[in-house]
Amino acid sequence: MIANRVDAGAPAGVWSPRPERPEGEPPARIASAATGWLIVLLLALAGGGLLARAVSAGAPAWTAYVFALGSGLAVVAYGASVFRFYRRLEARMPAGEAESRALAERLVGAFGELGAGDLVRSVERTAGLPKRVAEVFQAAAGALSALAEQIQDSSIEVASAADEVNGIASELASGSSEQAASVVEITAAMEELARTASQIADSASLQASLADRAEAAGDEGSAAVDEAVGGVEEVQKRITGIASRADTLGTRSKEIYRVLDLITEIADETHILSLNAAIEGAAAGVEGRRFAVVAEEVRRLAHRSQESVDSVRGLLDEFASSIRATIVATEEGSKEATRVLERAVSASAAITSLRAAAGDTARVARQISLATQQQNAASDEVVLTLREVSQVVQRMTGGLKQLSGTADRLNRLGLTIQLLAQSFHLDSPRSLKHLAEGWAAQLGAVAAPGDKERLLDELIPQVPFVEMAYFVDVAGATAILCFQGRVSEAQRARAARARESDLRHRPWYRGVLRQGRTVLTPPYESIPTGEACLTAATPLFGPGGELLGVLGIDVNINGWTRI
Amino acid sequence: MSEAGSHLLVRAGDFVCALPLQSVRRVMRALTVHPLPGATAELKGLSEFAGEPLPILDLARLVGAPPGASPAFPVTIVAWAGPPEARETVGLAAEAALGVVSVPASSVVVGEGGFVVGEASVAGDVVRVLNLEALGRR
Repeated sequence: MIANRVDAGAPAGVWSPRPERPEGEPPARIASAATGWLIVLLLALAGGGLLARAVSAGAPAWTAYVFALGSGLAVVAYGASVFRFYRRLEARMPAGEAESRALAERLVGAFGELGAGDLVRSVERTAGLPKRVAEVFQAAAGALSALAEQIQDSSIEVASAADEVNGIASELASGSSEQAASVVEITAAMEELARTASQIADSASLQASLADRAEAAGDEGSAAVDEAVGGVEEVQKRITGIASRADTLGTRSKEIYRVLDLITEIADETHILSLNAAIEGAAAGVEGRRFAVVAEEVRRLAHRSQESVDSVRGLLDEFASSIRATIVATEEGSKEATRVLERAVSASAAITSLRAAAGDTARVARQISLATQQQNAASDEVVLTLREVSQVVQRMTGGLKQLSGTADRLNRLGLTIQLLAQSFHLDSPRSLKHLAEGWAAQLGAVAAPGDKERLLDELIPQVPFVEMAYFVDVAGATAILCFQGRVSEAQRARAARARESDLRHRPWYRGVLRQGRTVLTPPYESIPTGEACLTAATPLFGPGGELLGVLGIDVNINGWTRI
Repeated sequence: MSEAGSHLLVRAGDFVCALPLQSVRRVMRALTVHPLPGATAELKGLSEFAGEPLPILDLARLVGAPPGASPAFPVTIVAWAGPPEARETVGLAAEAALGVVSVPASSVVVGEGGFVVGEASVAGDVVRVLNLEALGRR
């Protein structure tokens, strides 16, 4: 496991081999010898110390002599044993050198494969190494493989995230463009609205001015109508006075008629009286002639009175007729004056209403003018704000385009990391080199080209991210091309063109020949599809180890994240 | 009848009649007439004059004059009727009493006689001259 192989002192995730103490006899013995020498030295120092203490304390001298003799014997015995150990070690040196050389060669081979990125073969090359070394190497290779797979996964995640970011950025950029267009339209509409509001304000101001003038004219008209009403009322009063006087004249005329009737009656009586006087005068004979003359004169006077009464009555009739005509005329004049007065009052009321309406119109027009001016100011502010919004949106669109470009670069970086991870041959179905070698092993088991083609047709659907697989023999005579899914006419035509060309000059073929192992190409344009792809190409060897051809597996660049 | 006697001109309907002045007692405003049941058309009724009943005769009917437009009989002529020896006072309802004139006998165009003696021309107008003494004999 990687965690078990991570050095505590190393950066996280960086694997470093821990130095192991080599097993074997010589190092143990060297340690034990050193320990022995150290013990002997300590015993000698301790004995010397005790001896010096004893001498200083006045102890017997033989005790010091015995102790010094014992120490000397112990040093000699220990030196003899060490001498024997080194003699034996020198006797075993030639066999250890050969073993170490072979071990070093195996290690170099394993590390060589590891250096070439073939973690599978590097592990296979650990066979024959000491168990502990092989385990450590295998663990290191496993950790490296896991690291490469993690890098592979991370690159896919980075690319997927970049694709998502790119998609979101594209959508946002599209939305921002639409929003910018909408903001431009709204700005234009607001500017038009502002212009319209300004025109409305001007019209409202003009309307207010006209309404003021109408109100002033209404005042003048109302005053004129009031004067007319007063004049008509005065005329009506005069007419009423004339009618009253005419009525008085009519009444007086009736009185005159009654006087005339009385005079007529008196004249009739006088006439009858004069006739009776004439009758009496005639009856009186000659004496009554003078009386008869007087009676005749009285009769004539009565007759003239009657004629005068008739004349006065005729004049009075004409006068009464004129009075009646005057009364009728004054009544009609009064009625007409009443109608004129009513019309004048109605006109005054209408002018008053019109004046009030004009006042209301002026007030409303001023309010409209004020409101439209405020609206104009607000529209200007909105236009300014919209322009700022437009600039922000444009900057945001530019930023989103940059973000999209960054996402593209991130996607390409993910692809680069994927290519770096795929440069390792891992024991994983997602390792293109491993996949190519596995398919090559299966193809090596069949000989006929038709069988190879059928086998590839069976293998391709099992790995969705493989777009195309092909095999080209070493002679360049056989070119088998198999596609994933249905083959379009265009692909079929391109495949035919590819078969007609010498595919051995393709970079993937030449890379295999140059390195003699499985290779992974950088992205290039595929002839059959016309799109960018990367190819894992591996040599196909015969039973005798001879090169039969090269198998190529293509992964479309647009679908590499499916690996 | 006198040679050139004075006459009272009265209007009766459309006629102007001349009554001998000596037969006329009084000209009066129209008196109140009380109609008599079963009386002739000429007799309008009875009235009262000087405390005595007075028969009122329609002069226009007596002279055969067409009635006026609106006969009102505003005057009543109280006169003697009948022969002098048996004269009676009667009232003649007329339209108007016009005046006293002198009608010469020579100017009278004598007719059939009786109540209407004849016709004369007075101031250009045709006047029927009446004889009240003949009224009683009718």
